[in-house]
Order: sequence, then structure tokens, then C-alpha cells
Amino acid sequence: MRAAFLIATKDLKERLRDRTAILIAVVVPLVLAFIFSAILGGATGDTKAIPLGYVDEDGGAVAQAFVQQVLGEVEKAGIVSLHSEASVDTATGLVKRGKLYALIVIPPNFTQAVQSGAPAAMQVIGNVDSPVSAAIARSIVGGYVAELNRVRIAVATAAGGDPSALTPEELNTLASKAASAQAAVVVQDVSSQAKQLDAKSFYAAGMAVFFVFFSVQFGVTSLLEERNDGTLARLLVAPIGRTAVLAGKLLTSFLVGIISMGVLVVATSLLFGAKWGNPAGVAILIVAAVLAATGITAVIAGFARDAEQAGNAQTVVSVVLGLLGGTFFPVSQAPGIVSTLTFIAPQAWFLRGLGDLRGGDLSAVTLPALAMLAFAVVAGAVGVFRLRRLAEI
Amino acid sequence: MAKVLVIVTTNLRRTYRVRSNFFLSFVFPLLLILILGITFGSSSVPRVGVVYSGSGPLGRALVAELGRVGGMTTVSVGDASSLRLQVERATLDAGVIVPSDFDATVAAGRTATVTFIAWPGRYAHQLAENVNGAVARENAVLGAAQFAVTEGAATSFSGGVAAANAVSGHVAAITVSESTAGTAMFSRLITEFDQGAWTQLDLFVFFMALMAGALGLMQSRRLGISRRMLATPTSAWTVVAGEVLSRLVIAVVQAIVIVFGSALLFGVTWGQPAGVAAVILVYGLVSAAAGILLGSLVRNEQQAAGIALLLGLGLAALGGSMVPAQVFPQTMQTIAHVTPHAWANDAFLQLVGNGVGLGAILPQLGILGAYAVVMVGLAVWRLRRVLTA
Amino acid sequence: MGAPPLVVSGLSKRFGAIHAVDGVSFHVDAAETYGLLGPNGAGKTTTISMIAGLLSPDAGEVMVAGRRMTTTTTDAKALIGYVPQDVAIYPDLSARENLVFFARLYGMPAREAGRRTDEVLETIGLADRARDRTKHYSGGMKRRLNIGIGLLNRPALLILDEPTVGVDPQSRNAILESVDQLSTEGMAVLYTTHYMEEAERLCDRIGIIDHGKLIAEGSRQELVGVVGERDRVTLSATGDLGRATDALRSQPWIKQADASDGSVVLVVDGARAHLPAILQEAAATGVGVRSVEVSEPDLEAVFLHLTGRALRD
Repeated sequence: MRAAFLIATKDLKERLRDRTAILIAVVVPLVLAFIFSAILGGATGDTKAIPLGYVDEDGGAVAQAFVQQVLGEVEKAGIVSLHSEASVDTATGLVKRGKLYALIVIPPNFTQAVQSGAPAAMQVIGNVDSPVSAAIARSIVGGYVAELNRVRIAVATAAGGDPSALTPEELNTLASKAASAQAAVVVQDVSSQAKQLDAKSFYAAGMAVFFVFFSVQFGVTSLLEERNDGTLARLLVAPIGRTAVLAGKLLTSFLVGIISMGVLVVATSLLFGAKWGNPAGVAILIVAAVLAATGITAVIAGFARDAEQAGNAQTVVSVVLGLLGGTFFPVSQAPGIVSTLTFIAPQAWFLRGLGDLRGGDLSAVTLPALAMLAFAVVAGAVGVFRLRRLAEI
Repeated sequence: MAKVLVIVTTNLRRTYRVRSNFFLSFVFPLLLILILGITFGSSSVPRVGVVYSGSGPLGRALVAELGRVGGMTTVSVGDASSLRLQVERATLDAGVIVPSDFDATVAAGRTATVTFIAWPGRYAHQLAENVNGAVARENAVLGAAQFAVTEGAATSFSGGVAAANAVSGHVAAITVSESTAGTAMFSRLITEFDQGAWTQLDLFVFFMALMAGALGLMQSRRLGISRRMLATPTSAWTVVAGEVLSRLVIAVVQAIVIVFGSALLFGVTWGQPAGVAAVILVYGLVSAAAGILLGSLVRNEQQAAGIALLLGLGLAALGGSMVPAQVFPQTMQTIAHVTPHAWANDAFLQLVGNGVGLGAILPQLGILGAYAVVMVGLAVWRLRRVLTA
Repeated sequence: MGAPPLVVSGLSKRFGAIHAVDGVSFHVDAAETYGLLGPNGAGKTTTISMIAGLLSPDAGEVMVAGRRMTTTTTDAKALIGYVPQDVAIYPDLSARENLVFFARLYGMPAREAGRRTDEVLETIGLADRARDRTKHYSGGMKRRLNIGIGLLNRPALLILDEPTVGVDPQSRNAILESVDQLSTEGMAVLYTTHYMEEAERLCDRIGIIDHGKLIAEGSRQELVGVVGERDRVTLSATGDLGRATDALRSQPWIKQADASDGSVVLVVDGARAHLPAILQEAAATGVGVRSVEVSEPDLEAVFLHLTGRALRD
């Protein structure tokens, strides 16, 4: 064990001097996680509010209430930036040119129509290339209109189907009663409680686990390099036993992986606020993932002729497993057999474990951790068995 | 020119003597396509799971109303915990749980709570809106029925529902009219798979050319082959042209594998052949030139590999080859156009999205061409300095 | 006195159909330098690998100071120092770091490893460059460090596998001198080479190995004795060398005669006495002799005698 530690320490010293290892283990995943973060609008605080225009052709009380209360609330929430426009033509011109992403038009006599129960139509004009913004505008107006209609139907039903039989005063009383009546059905959105990673944390975790499959190479695969350079013979003639040599290399892989993941967890948390979750659970998942990666790299090195071949094979395996494991984009909506296929990727288990940890307790990581350990044990056993042949030159 | 060809054939021979390079050029892109097929290949209509274990007519009416919503499909799911799990695993985009005592709750004049959960992906907003809309429509009738009962206009809740349904047919409704303004950027529907295919082509071709080109040139430099070439009556231009052309050949081969593979296996649309060929050629040239430039700048192979990895993936992410540039914030979209990836992605977007031909993407091709010329020039200048210093 | 530093008995190793090492037996005594001499591919490195515990033999055994060497043992390995043919050091570590690392693999505690490293650095003359990364070293410096690592554990037996291949004459001399020095200090040295001058200069005893078999063994004197009093005569000449060679071959005191471009090589019993006759015979066949070289028997001649081939083909 002492010799294994000596070899691992020596390897880590070498790796620290050779900047490639630092690049692959820390810099590249960090830069990519940062880019994803920036793209998704988190890192730079660049979540731009949607420029939303409105034209109030009505000027009545209902229109003002809509603008101040409904639109005002949405603006306060930072989702849109409101722009009051004087005419529909100018405003539509702005939408055309993409200065406004969407426009809401409150038609003339809207207040009167609402109050008298006459038909009326609000208008949403979206920029053709900003479907999301148009959908948000439609959603704002739709919710408001649905409420108006609800009151209308409620009043009409309560009035026995014929509101015209009532005096305007009676109608008004009924309408305000209906407006404040409790809803029969409400929607409660619990998406935020779902046990899943937010986008920033997802990409931080995805990049970390993607690249750990590359960085663990620096341990086991260096066995092939050492064989080529003749230093393996030197290790083998030393009075330490070949198990110690192999153990040292596996230990190097493990340590490089742990250091890489550890640095990334801390850096992504501090630099762009990734939320990894319960530290104990994250630690368990990281150890399991690094062990799985070490096992897989051991198999590859075990079957490779030389370090270059091992490197190429490792790249292919890591990219394929990484994509399957959903480290770049979630493998969603795949047909049943394919979504089962994703679980041949330890990366999928790692991300699943982190997701389950979110909102779940520590026991949520048990299954993912065991799955990754199974990879580690099976792949590691095959790898070590194959690698022992290297101990004779 | 003859000399350039000699360099090209020698380089190609050197590359393909190594069997794993064969694999990286041909099999690896096919694997990528397969994974893309898995990722994007299925229907791009979002799926919403619905749980309703009760049997009341009102609950069933709500489920039916959800089923009528356009732009999504509903799937019946057995129980709430399995629904949650499927949404959390992203096998469903969203889920709706209608309480089993929905009818009883509403009939008793209380508020029934429908639970909505969405995977925080690209559909989350739209689906929440869809579900809210459907529920609001049901709420209008059911709320009116409850109101009628409270107000004494109906003797029973079911009577109220019948009355409200009857009324809602002829009460003048307030509606929302929708329209769009501007000329559509894309006249055709682009599927995610199409976009996935070309963005991955850009990522892969650039990455491989950068990595292999930089490593190859660095190796030639270290072994003294490049110096030896310059010692013969061969100019630095010829050497660089030879190196760039050999990488270009490999890049084009890889691109062809991806284009035909994805078109034949998964029916991906690529647009006008002449346009696609032009983009591949010019983009391949940029990629090859970048690899050779990097190979002339670095000091050793380790450095080459590390920087190639960083730039190959980093620029791809920045240029919209990992997440489509359309979802970027405005400033990031501008920054993205520092990368050749963004220009190539734009060109493909035009070819596939608008069905335009070669003529319409000349601006993008011009910019990519300029990249290539500048990089080749820098590589020649740099190589001359490194090798003759 | 304990067991000799090295006893090799009946060592054999096959690789497929090839008998790389075939029943090799020899021993090395304390303070003795033993040279294993043979052409490339004779089985030297395979033999060395089995002695160093890098390869398990198919048959036979290796005893190092009375302890059996296997690929898995540690006590026999603790007694040997091994210097591989190619430089095997870590390029990103300094000489000091390389040495300390291996010293600790030999079980030395940190402080002792440091002390021993300083001594070895002094011995191999790298003390002033000890903290530089070895990838910036010259070829000769790397070679010296390569040997230095083998000395760390003060081995009972130092194994040097062709340490001078591809080394410039100056460094080569330095290496040979330091091996000489180590031997006089009492270390047993096993030295393989295909340069007979090195074997002649360094080794107390020499084993000649060819096609995996040890075909002769002894001190230089003993080996040369095998050839007898035969000298080698080389005539640089012009004319019909073939005819001259045939004529010379018929003389009873000429044991061997070969013509090669521009010269005739003869193995002669008592060359000095017969030199005039040789020249006369050559002149009689119309050959013009430009120079004559007479050499006493050496290991080259021994090898030629034993195998009918030159050492360096």
C-alpha cells in the first residue's frame, strides 16, 4: 500500500507539471460549464426582459386596470419590459422590425363591452421569429380574458340564463360577487419542487462527469506509457510487487478524478451559483462515478496495445457514454428501449442521482451509487485482470 | 501544385496507417448520428402525462379538455408518483394530476386543486400555459355552477353545471385574436433533429480537424520533418497548403459520412446539395486551417491536445453547436458570431429553414472564407518563423 | 561467505517456436564483473529480464544471493539494481525527484532516501543539475541518471543491459570507468554487450551467448586459448583475390581464408613465422599487396571460431 501511494504521489506530481491534465480535468469543463451558463442567461445576469408593447385604444377603467394590475405585475416580476405605444401601426412596425417581440392591443370601447356583456376581442401580435415571447403575451392576455369570461358565465348562470332580466345595479353586484368567488378548479404548479437540477447545475454536473471520464485516463493509461518508456520495468524490478504498481495507477486515476470533480463542484458553486445539493450525497455520487470511470478506463487500457490506441478508444467511449448519459442534452422522450439504453451509461446514473438528491433525502442516492459501483466492480475486475499481463514485459 | 499533392497523399497515408484513425473518421461520426437519432429522433411534440384515478364525469371532462389542447399530446399515467418520476427523468415533458375526488370536491362547492409539474426544458412555459388555459375553461363552467348554487339560482350542483354549460354557449365571449408580424426568418419547419444534425456536423468536423491537424503538424515539427521539407526547394506556403489540404480531405470525408448517414438512416433534411457542398467545403477549410494554425503555434503535443480540446468544444458551445443559438440571450448571440461555427450554423439554417440555394448563403461563405484565408496566412507566417529560427 | 550474488541454472524461455533462451547456466561472484557477450537477438535481454524478475522462465531458476528470483518476489528484488538498455526516467521530474521516488520504492524512509539520493547524485556527477527537469538534460546526463537509479539500493548485483548502445564515445568512457569503479568496490556486476572491446576491457569473466545458448565461458585468456595460437592476417590487395585465396588455403598452416572486397582475411598458425611465405604466395598469384595487418586472437576471433560467423553481422 505504501508503494502504491508513492507511485500515485509521483504520478500526481508529474500530472501537475504537465498542463494538459489540468486543462482536461479542470479548465475545459469549467469553461464549458461557464459558456452553457452564459448561454442560458445565468452567469452574466443577462436574462433580458422581453420587450412587450401595448396599445390602449380604449382608455377606459377596465383597460387601465389591465395595464396597471396585470401587465404591471408581470413587469415587476422582470419577465417583460413594458412599452406603451400610441398607435397600432407604429407598434406593429416595431414588432415587424423585432424592436418589440410582441404587442397587446386593447380595442376601442373595451371597457364598455366588458361592462355591458357585449363581445370584445383583445389582440396579440407577435414577432414571427419570437414564438416564445408571443406565447408569453398570449398567456398573459389569455389568463385575463378567461377570468372575464368566467365572471360573465357565472353571472349569466346565476341570473337564470338571462342577465338582461336584471337591472344594471343587480348585475354589477352579481358581477363583483362572481369576481371574488372562489375558483372551482385551480392549478398548482409544483415544478420547482421536482427533484431535478436547474439548468445551470445540470450543465455543471454534466460537464464534470463528462470530463472525469477523460481525466481518469491519466492514471491507468500511464501504465501503457510507462511500459513504452521503460520505467514500468524499473517499477517491476523494485521490491514492491506488481499488485502495488497496479494499485498505484488505479489510485492515481481515482485521485485525479476526485480532485477534478471536487474542484469543479467548488468552482461552479462559487463562480456561477450551481446548486449541487446535499454535500454528503454529492460526495457519495462523486466517489461512485469516479470509481466507475476508473473501472472503464482500466478495461480500455487492458485491451489497448499502446497509450495512443487507449486514448483514442477512451475518447470514443467517453463521448458515446457521455451523450447517451445525457451530459450534453437530456435524452428525453426517447422510446422505452432507448431510455433503458441510457442506463448503460454511468453518467446517466450520476445525473439521475443528483436529481433525486434534490428534494429527496440522502437515501435517494443509494440506487444510483450502487449502479455506478456495479460498473466499477465489473469493469474494474476485467480491467485489472487484463492489466496484470502488463506486469510481464 | 504537384508538391502539395505529394504532401497530401503522404499525410493521408500516415493518418490511415493508424487503424484507430479510420475508426475516428468513419465509425465515430456514425455513432454520433445514432445518438442524435436517439436524442432528437422521436416526435418533437411534447408529451404530457395525465393522472386521473377517479371516474366522475367532471374529472373525465377535464381530462378530455386537456386532450383537445393543440401542440401537445396527453398520455394516461397510472399514479402520481410514477408520473413525477417520469417528468423528473424527462421521459415526459410535463404532467397533470387530477385529484380522484375531483367531482365530489367541486360538487361540494370547494376548490379542487389540479397539480402541474414540468421538466424545466424548452417546453415548460408553453405547457404550463396550455394546461392553465384548459383548466381555466373548465373553471369558467364549474365556477359558474358553484356560483349559481350559492346564489340560489340552481338547486343542485349538477343542475348548475347543466345551466352553466347551456349559458356558456350563448354568452358573448371576450376573445383573444392572434397574429404575427414580420417576414418569417424560416419558411419551412425545421425539426430539432435537422438542427441537431448540422450543429453536430459543425462541432465534430471542426473538433477533429483542430485536434488531428494540430497534433499532426506538431509531430512533424518535433520529428524534424517540417524542417526537412523547408530544406528542400519548397516554400512555407506549399508546406502549409499541403497540410491544410490533407486535413480538408479528411474533414470533407467525415462531413459526407454525417450528411449521408443521417439522411439515409433518419431522413434528416440538408437542403440544396450545391449549397450544402459549398458550406462543407469552406467550413472544412476553416477547420483544417485552424488545426494547422494551432499546430504552428504550440510548443509540444500535450499543449496541442489540451488547447484543441478547449477550443474545439468551447467554440462549439459558444457558436451554438451544443445548444441552438436561437435560445441564447441577445448579447450571447452577437458574441457567438466570433466563432466559425455560428456562421456555418447560420448557413445551414438558411439552406434547410428557407430552402434557399447557394446564392443566398454567399455572405456566410464569404466570412468563413475570410477566416480560412487569415488563418492560413497566420500559419504560414508562424511556421516560417518557428522552423527557420 | 554467503551464497554468490547470482547463480543461474538451466534457464530457458520460448516465445512460440523460438527458443529465445535455451538452458543457460552461469554464476557471478562477489566483486566480479561478468559480461554476457553476443550479437543482437542472441537472447541477452531475455536472460537479463528473467534474472531481474521481469519475466518468468519456462525452466530453470535464478538465485540472487541465495534467494530465488521470481516475478512476484520482493526479497530477491531488493538485492538487485537494474539499468535498462533504454533510458527509463520520468521526464517531468527532476533527477532528485526521480531518485527519491525509486529510493522510496526500495523501502527507504524519506530522510534516508534523501541522503542516499545526494550520494548517488555525487557519484553520477549530477549534483549541480539535480533540480532541473530531466527532459531538459543532454543524452549523456540522462544515461548517467539511468545508471544512478540502479545504484540507489547498494545492490549485491548490478545488472546493466547494454548501457553504452547509442552513446557518444566520451560518455561511453565515463560509463565504463564507473562500472570498473563499482566492481573494485565489491559489487557484482552483470553486463551485457555486443561490443567485444567493452567485454574485454571490463569483465573478469565472459559468457558468449548465441541463439539462446551459452556456448563458451571463461576469462579472456581462457576464451582466447580456445582459438589456440592462431592469429589473424588481413591483406589489403589488388588483383585476382579469389585465386590468391584458393592458393593460400592449400597451405597446411592456414586454417581459414576468406576474400572480401579489397582484402583477404586469413587465420594462421604462427603468423609471424609464415608471413614471408604468405607474401610470396600472394605475389605468385599476381596479387599486389598494399598493406598487411597481423592481429593476435581476440574475442572476435573466438566468436568466429565458435560460430563461423562474425560477432557483428
